[in-house]
Amino acid sequence: MAELENTIPDLKIQTCTDPDGTMVLDVDGELDSANVEQLREQVTPVIADPPPCLVFDLAGLRFMDSAGIAVLVQVAAEVNDVRVRDPSPIITRLIDVTGLSGVLKIEK
Amino acid sequence: MGLVLSAAFVVTAAKLYERNEGRLLKLRARELGLVLSAAVPPIQTPLASAAALANATGGDPQKFRALMGPGVGPGRQFASASLWVLGSRRVKPLMVLGEAPQLPAAEARKLFSSHARPRVLSVIGRLQSRSPGIGYEFSTPGAARGFAVYAESRLPRDRRSKLESNTAFSDLNYAVYLGRAADSRELLVTSLKRLPITGRKASQTIPFGDNALTLSVTPRASLSGTFFRDLPWIVGLLGTLVSCAAALLTYRLARGRRRAELLAGNLDRVAAENERMYTEQRGIAQTLQQALLPEVPPELEGLLVSARYVPAASGVEVGGDWYDVIATGDRKVLLVIGDVSGHGLRAATTMASLRHATLAYAAHDPSPAAVLGRLSDFVNAGLHDYFATVLCAMIDVENHRVTLASAGHLPPLVLDGEKGYFLDLAVNVPIGVRRDSPYQEASIVIPALATLVAFTDGLVERRGETVDTGLTRLSRAATRQNLTLQDLVAKLPNDLAFEDHHDDTAIVGVQWQN
Repeated sequence: MAELENTIPDLKIQTCTDPDGTMVLDVDGELDSANVEQLREQVTPVIADPPPCLVFDLAGLRFMDSAGIAVLVQVAAEVNDVRVRDPSPIITRLIDVTGLSGVLKIEK
Repeated sequence: MGLVLSAAFVVTAAKLYERNEGRLLKLRARELGLVLSAAVPPIQTPLASAAALANATGGDPQKFRALMGPGVGPGRQFASASLWVLGSRRVKPLMVLGEAPQLPAAEARKLFSSHARPRVLSVIGRLQSRSPGIGYEFSTPGAARGFAVYAESRLPRDRRSKLESNTAFSDLNYAVYLGRAADSRELLVTSLKRLPITGRKASQTIPFGDNALTLSVTPRASLSGTFFRDLPWIVGLLGTLVSCAAALLTYRLARGRRRAELLAGNLDRVAAENERMYTEQRGIAQTLQQALLPEVPPELEGLLVSARYVPAASGVEVGGDWYDVIATGDRKVLLVIGDVSGHGLRAATTMASLRHATLAYAAHDPSPAAVLGRLSDFVNAGLHDYFATVLCAMIDVENHRVTLASAGHLPPLVLDGEKGYFLDLAVNVPIGVRRDSPYQEASIVIPALATLVAFTDGLVERRGETVDTGLTRLSRAATRQNLTLQDLVAKLPNDLAFEDHHDDTAIVGVQWQN
């Protein structure tokens, strides 16, 4: 049987809540279609009971493709205020060219 | 002792062969089932789009003909398509395209007067009739008033159809039945002269609207190639040789080496087998994708046209990229290119429904901003976990003008002689992100003899660089070439491809001849 090589890039997700109720999801590593379900699992309970503000801290995220963006967008549909903190220039530009800078507010 | 071991090997290998064949057949049935289930959206979405269009236009027969007409007629998807008023006492079609529907009055009344309507495609077998076929009915869910669309496709009279010998499934015989059982009266199509299937077989039931399809497959020859079928005898023969050699020479080393060689040989064969299966899976993905995408004519309204879809280099999955290029009259051409986030069958079937919905909205009002706005409402009305980037461009061929709107999609490239530049347009949010998203249009003049190339991000995106780097690379690669449009569109994805490419690519080029 074809045993196709499937390299799943490393991904670390940490969640914490600030005293003002803002939820911060710290996403490190690389995020693509191979491991995006890990992030989806983390955000599903968040969408069910949305905080006033949710921050994706992407300072440690080296790569993200459209599958990752899809999860961020899905969260933005349910949570009023979604921010993306310290994304790399590559990710900033990706959010920009996909017309999402109004939906995912970038904070440096 | 060696001979006993050899005999044991023969039995084990034969058993392994049996198990392997059974497992492979189950896998193949599942794959063929996936291909079949992908046939549902291409049936449902034109009907759903036509019903939505009829509801929006108060049942305008001309709009219905414009949308459904190209798919109806001998050799096309449907033999007959008709538009019906829901909940009316007079059960008669408003308009019929192609053959008259073979729908008895009692059944029509049941279909078109009931109020509680499930949100599925109704599938009705007409298998005992003189020209056997399947009927499909769709109306917008929850609508007691409004319109329903009914269409029929015909089946070959003898129900025989062969899988083409060059497809990925040419090693299988199959039979497809309507319903949840392999009932000979409900046979839709088969590749076999004689039924039922005897011997090794596998079955699979696939949901089909409010009905189901049952698929039975049987291998034409050994699925794993002759090597595995012959393995018991190869092992037996070599085992005997090895035993004799051991008994005669008692050189353990020699025996060990021979076994190692045999093992190494087997590994090579297994690697070759893996390679073959991988290629085959890729073949399935490509066949399926091609079935979901349109054939583009080489010329439309005096504009040269070429389009291509390339699956991801590293994957065996289908993707969510699509395109359409259609003439809308008055020497105008509508170009649509889009990309549904994610991969696999779900992305591909979502793509199929977005593709048809876009065409339906364009038939209603072809302004690109209006099309994107309606498409966005359509997606946001339901639960969804994807988004799609879409570029919609109305090309006025005569006046060298393009009016376009972008839902998060990359801008098209213009090639004007030695010069290459990307159209400067406002990028609005992708489809499926937000309700009531506004879409803006830009209207841009294109120089004489210029080429416009629209594409999806798979053509330019690479890990570790900004998208601008990729855009510059594309522009350079495209302007360096002195090629015909066909060759350019065929060559660019190859030139820009790289190893381990995870994304699929769609590319569409149009070229003015004056």
